[in-house]
Amino acid sequence: MAKRVVVDPITRIEGHLRIEAMLDDRGVIHDAISSGTMWRGLELILKDRDPRDAWAICERICGVCTTVHALASVRAVENALRIRAPKNAEIIRNILFLAQMVQDHVIHFYHLHALDWVDAVSALKADTNATFALAQKVSPDWPTSSPGYFREVQATLKKFVDSAQLGIFANAYWGHPAYKLPPEANLMAVAHYLEALRWQREIAAIHAVFGGKNPHPHYLVGGVPCAITMQGDSGINIERLNLVHDRITEAIRMVEGLYIPDLMAIASFYPEWTKMGGGLRNYMAYGDLPLNGIGDPEHFRIPGGVVLNRDLSHVLPVDLTDTGQVREEVAHSWYRYANGSEAALHPWEGVTEAHYTGPKPPYRQLDESGKYSWLKAPRWKGQPMEVGPLARLLVGYAVGRTEFKEVVDDALARMKLPVTALFSTLGRTAARALETRLAARWLLAEYERLVANIKSGDTATADTASWVPETWPADAKGFGYTEAPRGALGHWVRIRNGKIDNYQIVVPSTWNASPKDGKGQHGAYEAALLDTPIADSTRPIEILRTIHSFDPCLACASHLLGADGCTLAEVVVR
Amino acid sequence: MLVVGVGNLLLGDDAAGLAVLAELESRRRVWDKAVEFLDGGTQGLGLLDRIAGHRALLILDAVKLGAAPGTVHVLPNWNGAAARATTAHESNVAELLQASALLGELPPRVTIVGIEPERVETGIGLSAAVRAAVADAAQAAATAIKEMAGASGL
Repeated sequence: MAKRVVVDPITRIEGHLRIEAMLDDRGVIHDAISSGTMWRGLELILKDRDPRDAWAICERICGVCTTVHALASVRAVENALRIRAPKNAEIIRNILFLAQMVQDHVIHFYHLHALDWVDAVSALKADTNATFALAQKVSPDWPTSSPGYFREVQATLKKFVDSAQLGIFANAYWGHPAYKLPPEANLMAVAHYLEALRWQREIAAIHAVFGGKNPHPHYLVGGVPCAITMQGDSGINIERLNLVHDRITEAIRMVEGLYIPDLMAIASFYPEWTKMGGGLRNYMAYGDLPLNGIGDPEHFRIPGGVVLNRDLSHVLPVDLTDTGQVREEVAHSWYRYANGSEAALHPWEGVTEAHYTGPKPPYRQLDESGKYSWLKAPRWKGQPMEVGPLARLLVGYAVGRTEFKEVVDDALARMKLPVTALFSTLGRTAARALETRLAARWLLAEYERLVANIKSGDTATADTASWVPETWPADAKGFGYTEAPRGALGHWVRIRNGKIDNYQIVVPSTWNASPKDGKGQHGAYEAALLDTPIADSTRPIEILRTIHSFDPCLACASHLLGADGCTLAEVVVR
Repeated sequence: MLVVGVGNLLLGDDAAGLAVLAELESRRRVWDKAVEFLDGGTQGLGLLDRIAGHRALLILDAVKLGAAPGTVHVLPNWNGAAARATTAHESNVAELLQASALLGELPPRVTIVGIEPERVETGIGLSAAVRAAVADAAQAAATAIKEMAGASGL
């Protein structure tokens, strides 16, 4: 009998997402829809505001992936006004970017995704001596490891479970037969989960040094708002640089000593997940981490490009100013376009007119043949795209970048898998870890570039020649982009007489969580769920494993919040 | 000891804890030198560092237990039974305290003083029912501080 499984809200993500999966008689998903159930209004809020303030407002789209919208925004305004940030500012922005990416990915793995693969309750049955032996084998470079340590972790966990207050471990299907790790591996993973929880607040200091605080460090059109002063206390001095270096060393240790080994160890127990959850066959990256200015993409650490149909022999270029490439559709989205729902608009012509035609909440199900999401459907040349760590890794690998090939080939050799294993839920999860491996190395490299530049006598951090609106043209348009942890992010701005006339944001989770377009083509989440067997429709852990592999951030994706009379404005309880 | 107000100023009555904190801070007295006040906003797990190491912890927040809006709740010796808080973010007070306990850093004495919200929606400003309860909640908090500070030898 055909069944519809509804998971709403999806927990252990950022924001509000609803998934409806239609199962056939064998319990296999044959259709799925992804619905963003929340909207906020940033694009409308920005209208008529000062473009120099835009970054601060945009950054508040999300505190989990903080910095990314601020960066895309200052780049968009700088692009429109033809301002180029000086070298130190560019390097510092790269450092902020990389610190964010490393922290974000590590937290995602341990605190949002791991519980799909690790059965925390089973850890109570573990033999702590055997756990120690396993930890020595898996992560020999990690110092915190002894039978006593694991006994302590197990005892703490037991107190939690006995009090029936599973607390932060409450959001998972404990005891589900799909959990394959032995108790010792589960206990080791729980201990490392706690280590990561301790560590994640440390790396945030890097943002505080250069940007004043975390979340939401400060940015600046024209540069960065911190001063480099080797004398005195008030700016970036030797002491602050040393602190940053310490945190970077710590981050590399965490990634190489814990994250990568744990990922490999856990992945080895779930080989069937290298064949499920692949979904779309198209991948897109805009590229980022400039070494010679945002206008020189050849010298980005992360190359941009499109891979179509999983063909790694061919990478197509992306042009964000080409009105025939990136466009947003609303055929299945709760928005109105003046020329009808079949239109596809480039962000410079973008329109955000909300028009809810869905059922009155609470509702049992949405209508997949009609409009069903607060997310628009972005498409590249009419094609749906997956963005994010897997897309970036594939593009880097396909264009032949040595360090990308090195980390990918090393991982595939260790796990004895072919390249095609990357096109899966586990592949996407591993890609996130491998990207973090590169990011941690780059973090040190960027730091060294900064120190070298300062040593050469350059302490400039901002170009303020075009700060005042009187120096701007009456009409200007620009685009800014970045590779946020979750994927390609773009901001498009039109500035008229010193004020923002139109602002459009296309975020990674809109690409990935997108509903169908006018041709009925699924977005990435929907496509990835197809053909996945669900063992128990009351505990659809398979859906969570795949959706979490994308690291959804719906706060970004649906950026309008409920207007008066719209009960979707109610805060959704987990 | 630490007194931390949490909540979102942009979500109506979710800011109740922050209003109580402001009221308390305006009543600071001599013995309060041993008491640290903190606006924790929506920091969630970002507060782990700030609560570690204290001998006692008082949390001020909007607390939804199904009572009439404006009801002042005092939850002493919190043991995790406060169930799930509503928040627009992925982490909240219950998770913060549980994570802290899991790391072995939770202060030995934890009390929550809160006000039952009427309306947690976008908007700046408390509902009339909650605003009217702020003074009483601050009084309950002041009593809790005295008890906890005394019991902790501060």
